[in-house]
Amino acid sequence: MSTIAERMAAAGAGAAIELRGVTRLFGALAALTDITLSVRPGERRAVLGSNGAGKTTLLNCVTGDFPPTSGTVRFFGEDVTILPPHERIRRGLRRTYQISLLFQRLTVRENVYLACRGVSRGRFSFLRTRAGEAIMQSVADLIALVHLENVADRLVGELAHGQQRQLEIALALAGAPRFILFDEPAAGLSPTERGDLVAILTALPSHIGYIIIEHDMDVALRVVESVTMMHNGRIFKEGAPAEIETDPEVQRLYLGGGHG
Amino acid sequence: MTTAFGGDEAVAARGGALARWIARRPLAALVIAAAAALALWLILAPWPAGFEEWFGRKRLFVNALFNGVTLGGLYFLVAAGFTLIFGLMRNVNLAHGSLYLFGGYMGYEAADWTGSWLFSYIVAFICCAVVGVAMQILIFRRMEGEDLRQTLVTLGLAIIFSDLMVWVWGGNAIQIATPDYLNGPTPTPIVVAVKSSGEAVFLQYPRVRLVIFAAAVLIGVGMWLALHRTRIGVMIRAGVDDRDMLSALGYRVQILFALVFAFGAGLAGMAGIVGGTFQSISLGEDSHFLLASLQVVIVGGMGSIPGAALGALIMGCSEQFGLVYFQNYATMVTFLIMVLVLAIRPQGLLGRG
Amino acid sequence: MALTETSTPSIAAPRGGALSRWVSRHAAILLLGLILVLLPAVANEFLLDQIVGWSLALGMIALSLMFLAGYGGMVSLAQMTIAGVAGYMVAVLGASSLPTISLFWPWWVATPLAIAIAVVFGTLSGALSARTEGIYTIMITLAIAAAFFYLTLQNWPIFNGFNGFTTIPAPHFWGVNWRAPVPLYYLILFFAASSYGAVVYISRAPFGLALQGVRDNPRRMEAIGYNVAAHRVAAHAFAALIAAIGGVLLVWLNNQISPFSISFERVIDVLVIAVVGGLGHPIGAFVGAIIYVILRTFALDALLAVGLDGRRFQTIIGLGFLLIVLFSPDGVIGLWRRWSARLRANGGSRRL
Ligand SMILES: Nc1ncnc2c1ncn2[C@@H]1O[C@H](COP(=O)(O)OP(=O)(O)O)[C@@H](O)[C@H]1O
Ligand SMILES: [Mg+2]
Repeated sequence: MSTIAERMAAAGAGAAIELRGVTRLFGALAALTDITLSVRPGERRAVLGSNGAGKTTLLNCVTGDFPPTSGTVRFFGEDVTILPPHERIRRGLRRTYQISLLFQRLTVRENVYLACRGVSRGRFSFLRTRAGEAIMQSVADLIALVHLENVADRLVGELAHGQQRQLEIALALAGAPRFILFDEPAAGLSPTERGDLVAILTALPSHIGYIIIEHDMDVALRVVESVTMMHNGRIFKEGAPAEIETDPEVQRLYLGGGHG
Repeated sequence: MTTAFGGDEAVAARGGALARWIARRPLAALVIAAAAALALWLILAPWPAGFEEWFGRKRLFVNALFNGVTLGGLYFLVAAGFTLIFGLMRNVNLAHGSLYLFGGYMGYEAADWTGSWLFSYIVAFICCAVVGVAMQILIFRRMEGEDLRQTLVTLGLAIIFSDLMVWVWGGNAIQIATPDYLNGPTPTPIVVAVKSSGEAVFLQYPRVRLVIFAAAVLIGVGMWLALHRTRIGVMIRAGVDDRDMLSALGYRVQILFALVFAFGAGLAGMAGIVGGTFQSISLGEDSHFLLASLQVVIVGGMGSIPGAALGALIMGCSEQFGLVYFQNYATMVTFLIMVLVLAIRPQGLLGRG
Repeated sequence: MALTETSTPSIAAPRGGALSRWVSRHAAILLLGLILVLLPAVANEFLLDQIVGWSLALGMIALSLMFLAGYGGMVSLAQMTIAGVAGYMVAVLGASSLPTISLFWPWWVATPLAIAIAVVFGTLSGALSARTEGIYTIMITLAIAAAFFYLTLQNWPIFNGFNGFTTIPAPHFWGVNWRAPVPLYYLILFFAASSYGAVVYISRAPFGLALQGVRDNPRRMEAIGYNVAAHRVAAHAFAALIAAIGGVLLVWLNNQISPFSISFERVIDVLVIAVVGGLGHPIGAFVGAIIYVILRTFALDALLAVGLDGRRFQTIIGLGFLLIVLFSPDGVIGLWRRWSARLRANGGSRRL
């Protein structure tokens, strides 16, 4: 006979991302309260909620940018709660940031190169990379994927806002991701660029799952199979997109103009 | 509300912050209490004969302690302004030592003209405060947010000030005379030795150092009260804790910055007179006291006044005990303390994580 | 503050066969190298060692700071101290005029060991400041520098206190007397050129690029898989190696070391040199060093000649530094770049 705890652990072992009882405090403010969440490998999930609901903080707890105050975070079954962010990234986790965090005084190519190098060997290498090496091909492919070939050798600080958002996405696709966290990737993109984004997301290999935070319901509900609704640092509803759209409580709290 | 919270509050209601801290850290509290008891015994009790064999004369120990604590008072006066300026403006004022030296020289001149030691403090405070405000308004206001550039500017100023002061006052050490009413030793109730006749010998300690230390404590308490009980003080603390708060102040933030700069610089200037009375002021003392401020603030915690007090006390004592017990490696004591703090608590003992 | 070169060529190294392109792209630095190599044919000993040699050795120490500050965003004031540790260790482990302290080990033991000790020292002090950021690094490294200065001043058994060491000659090997002016000059030139080349090369290699990433955005570096603290410490170790070699050369050049070689003023001088030269490119360190050395050597006479007090040299340095910080944050090489860009722009419009 197995105990309830053992059965719960076994159930969680199959999850790509599993949070159990995660709470995050900022001083006296509870940005997350007792979050329990499980996402399957390959699952595509939207996290919705008004500003300040705690969505970004949720991602920060998963990546370790801000570790949880209490609770545990598992990544493909492994307890990563106290691992530093770079260790989680090397295990196949990726993320984008709501406010672009790029290397402003490096070129687009160097930014993407750093992301590819960060999840491969030779991070400390004193030897320059030769033009023919495979990593340079991956860099070029990623740049082409987000349509930044024309500005590949420009400094990131000189790019337009939309281009920086595109680069933000490219950095999260480097190497062989197993799970990606997108924090409002469509914010600041033009309608065409939004179309490109949807295309990139739907073209991702099916074993790569992601969580996407997105205010634009048109984007969000087209690219996910499940939705988590957050409010005041808590999850209050989970379900399929169709269910969520018609839920009266969701209508009242979120779609009804509660956010802005 | 969880039970854990409730329990905490109950304790707090019964015994205040100290009891709460002891309840949270029983082991640390025990260690501190034991260390305090040991220190008290070392200071107050006459030492057993065998003890002096390997620990030196008690007079040496008590003297080092008194010198260390009073030096700590001086360090606090210098470092308090430094830490406030850093905490609020993220400006590492490398010219802080120059302000200390300038205050000392101006105080010396003022005491020379007027013959009043107390008046010289006012002169030193005003002179340095004016220089501080000028620096803030003429230079740093124009480069807000560029903390590295601001620091480089203070460095350039320190180089220039130092040379100009050598020009005016020369390279010789200057001693500021202690006024008659503070001259001479004061008996203390601390037994340093017992004569063969059984008569106890009490420690005599320079009165001026005790008085100045008391003044430093008063200033420290005054600053703490001002920071916690006045509106400006609350604004300053809010700014140190959360820099975004500052933008909410709008144009008034400049007034706040200038005030803090004036006060910090003035305090350093007054400390210059204290230093000139305790020891002497001369070429090179500017960098000495800048570095002392750095160490105090690193150990105590950046931006924290109680941290500066604690750091100053620790650094003053370790310097004096180092001189008495480890001659050739005296500075290593101070340095190792700093390294230890950085390794265990990079934000300083009382700094915020 | 513009801390990096603005025109960044591609990461990938040039492919073989592009030698002529490489030569034409680096024409200026190759020409400078040629002049420096041929200099002993025309220059006297004073110019060779006391001006150029001193500038190059000092430039290496400033280069180590440029590497940390320009590429890594870490302004370390401990670089002169690291050089001093290496210099002191050469005197303690090797030969000096003090047989009671010096161990007189052969140079091929003493020198590498001295450099290794200095690198360990630099790595540890880097580790102390690597967990903090930006402005804190200045405070911590300055405190470390001060502690070492006061230690050497107070300590007689190892550092011979106030007096320090004299008569610390460069060794004799391969049949060459390296303490003679011309060989010593070539020794310094070799190490200065090598460290300059190494820094330029590494700035486009993964390690150097990652360091620039750490400078621009440490949080993002973590989020793409880099151990930021480890990278910072490794950068400190590499910079310490350059500073340590520079320190040994400086001691051989001056034939002495004392607490005043590593005092507050000297520690600050290194920062002044690097900032005045410009933190945007490794050459800035050497440009700053030659300006500094020329000022140090001739300012006294020049000031007297125009009727000023020669002792106000320090004020001149301070004012120059202040002007650069206020008006050209990328230093003299920044001034040069802007000036030559304007010249090119003017030339273009005239041709139209
Ligand atoms: N680094 C931080 N420091 C202090 N408070 C924070 C920090 N990050 C987020 N918060 C607070 O946590 C709450 C949730 O924020 P966030 O997760 O960014 O919300 P969302 O992404 O859903 O808009 C907000 O009240 C926000 O102010
Ligand atoms: Mg958000």
